[in-house]
Amino acid sequence: MSVDVVLSEGVLAEMVEQVWVSYLDPEGVSPLIQTLDKNQPSEVHSSVSITGSWNGVVVYASSTAAARKAAAAFLAVGEDEVSQEDLSDVLGELANIVGGNVKAMLPAGSALSLPQVVLAPETASRYPSAERVAGLYGTWDGEPVSISILQSRADVKEDTE
Amino acid sequence: MKILIADDSRVMRQIVTRTLRQAGFGEHDLVEAADGQEALDKATSESPDLVISDWNMPEMTGVEVLRKLRSAGNEVKFGFVTSECTPEMQQQAEAAGAAFFIVKPFTAERFDEVFTPILG
Repeated sequence: MSVDVVLSEGVLAEMVEQVWVSYLDPEGVSPLIQTLDKNQPSEVHSSVSITGSWNGVVVYASSTAAARKAAAAFLAVGEDEVSQEDLSDVLGELANIVGGNVKAMLPAGSALSLPQVVLAPETASRYPSAERVAGLYGTWDGEPVSISILQSRADVKEDTE
Repeated sequence: MKILIADDSRVMRQIVTRTLRQAGFGEHDLVEAADGQEALDKATSESPDLVISDWNMPEMTGVEVLRKLRSAGNEVKFGFVTSECTPEMQQQAEAAGAAFFIVKPFTAERFDEVFTPILG
């Protein structure tokens, strides 16, 4: 089975839309608008690893303003009340939710790691043994937000052979 | 009734609490646990009527907590709220005696549907 087909960008978009509808934009007034810009800047990011029958990383990245807005929506507080700890926890939870949903689409026999949060641009983390196989890039109230799926190069090679 | 919310994410415990309130279950007594071991300890010491647990937690996974409770003869109503939902996990949850399986992201409507039969 080709995992690339399972992890299509359309499916990823549906999954991310669920996160927006449930937590980030329950009123349906500020959805994530896709930009298709793979290289949009970020200031903070979080990730979870998936290991086992499929190996890779799911990365959530955004501007600090978008992370603050997400934390305020998750915690039902004002954006000026969001602490650094809130920001980290919400970023970790976003990676966990998207990563868990990605894992559910993969063949059985994989494990999800606990999230890792880095309050620095996505480019601050390197995944030398993995390549991006799917991604969703957009803006939320004008602020950049992206979700990328990176797969281990060894797995990618196997799929194409 | 007393409800134990077990999740290593403080944010998710807050969201579960808020969603319970939105679904009309705000009057219940809520206790929290931040990892699997604490969940097991509080499920015993606090005698909750319901345990709402994450799956992937430090110290012990949610399903391990459930198995330990059942093997100790504790029949508390126990279910999962998790971002992971594979058929193998659902089977494990069911085999261990879970009463429900809610996938994140979830809505107040989903909570209402699952918890009304349990909490009334």
